[in-house]
Amino acid sequence: MLPSAAVFYFPWELNSDLQDGQSVRTCGRLVDYQPEESKATLSAQHASKEHHVIVHTMFVEPFNPIIGAQYIVLGETDGNEGIGTTVRARVLNCVDGVNVALLHKAVIEQRSFFRERERKQCDTAKSADAT
Amino acid sequence: MQTETMDAAEEPSSILWGLDPLFSAFVRLYVSDILHMTESTQVPGIYFYNQHPVYRVDVLGTVVYKREREDFFCYGVDDGTGVINCLCWKSELVKDDPGGEGGDAPGGFNVEAELSKLRRSQQERCRLDIGDLLRVRGTLKTSRQQREIMASNFYRVCDPLMELQISWMMDLPQLYRDCYDKKLDSPVGGASIVVRNFLEKNSVSRFRENDLKELLEPLVVQGTHTHTQLQQLLKQTLQHLQDEGVVYPKVKSPDQVYLVTSRDKELLVAILDVIREDSRREKYAEKGCHVLHILSAVRQRYSVNVSRAALQLLVQSLESSSDIISTSDSHYIAF
Repeated sequence: MLPSAAVFYFPWELNSDLQDGQSVRTCGRLVDYQPEESKATLSAQHASKEHHVIVHTMFVEPFNPIIGAQYIVLGETDGNEGIGTTVRARVLNCVDGVNVALLHKAVIEQRSFFRERERKQCDTAKSADAT
Repeated sequence: MQTETMDAAEEPSSILWGLDPLFSAFVRLYVSDILHMTESTQVPGIYFYNQHPVYRVDVLGTVVYKREREDFFCYGVDDGTGVINCLCWKSELVKDDPGGEGGDAPGGFNVEAELSKLRRSQQERCRLDIGDLLRVRGTLKTSRQQREIMASNFYRVCDPLMELQISWMMDLPQLYRDCYDKKLDSPVGGASIVVRNFLEKNSVSRFRENDLKELLEPLVVQGTHTHTQLQQLLKQTLQHLQDEGVVYPKVKSPDQVYLVTSRDKELLVAILDVIREDSRREKYAEKGCHVLHILSAVRQRYSVNVSRAALQLLVQSLESSSDIISTSDSHYIAF
């Protein structure tokens, strides 16, 4: 009944490797909105390359599009569409003014914590097996 | 993450739960961890994260599911690691429909208008929509194989710049490293607290090892090895207390008597005498005596078994009663 957890991905990590229908959340600058198609485009720069995420906004309409503002989107991936991965938005929030660098740092921090913990658990499991 | 299977024997004894600081706290766990904790076999409603007993949690996340009933809201909260149901009871203020606008007397304070304003703002904070940020604190329960939070306190968080969410994401790994993932050095840590409390409460000044047996018995899981376990726990606990300087044996012997440092007036007087006498000597008159000097003097005069930790404890109490003065972090002087 509850949807699955939307894990944070950076826009440049959303690629065809992800399965369709996976719940994700990501952020980017709104660069384009076509209301007649319910399609918005978020963009983010990483390693001197621009990455795009296409957002289907059917479920979150009506919303007030501010071109150039930072948005955070939460939804399911839905295939690839030329310039980027498509996300069917369940939540689309304007977070303009957010400290993007700090947000990225927090996400990386959280991931490295999970990795560290997983490694520790593997180690303890191994040592438990050995005894 | 916790493994789903944990034997009853691995569960810490319920007597020790209260000693765990996490037990009485609203623990800020990741939702995925909340969903994977094992429930206690001794008391339902208590869960274990890394052997820490937890029954109240504190969660911040996006509402991704909502259902409204007459008496309560049911919100699905997603924190990026998992989604959990939160049962949020409506308070009386929310249930009542706010009446029409109270006529605002110009310049005056209208209680009714203020009250309806308060009611409206409370309603706004409790009625969330999908996409809003929710902070919820409450107890855990498992109903129909699904874990839920019974909210004791919940509200919408206004966080347009994600400052709170980011600081929350930064805080959690630190909290996990500093507290949640640390195992309580049980049962010795717990046992020594039990013994300390007992000594303090009953103003014990001296005891033998056997006197503590009865006290520590409930902390050992009953079984075939109860006796050896108890002996071991007793030894470890006494060692721990000695390391901390809380107790020390004046004379070492097979069935030795332990003295409680803080109640040992003779030792206190001995230390004070050493400091007083030596402070008069020219060598120490200016800078005072070093702790190690006091220690060796006390060991010569009083008992060889006095530990540095025990001495430190008494020196501190002497200092706080202004009998002696510290001239540096390890030098003391008396006038």
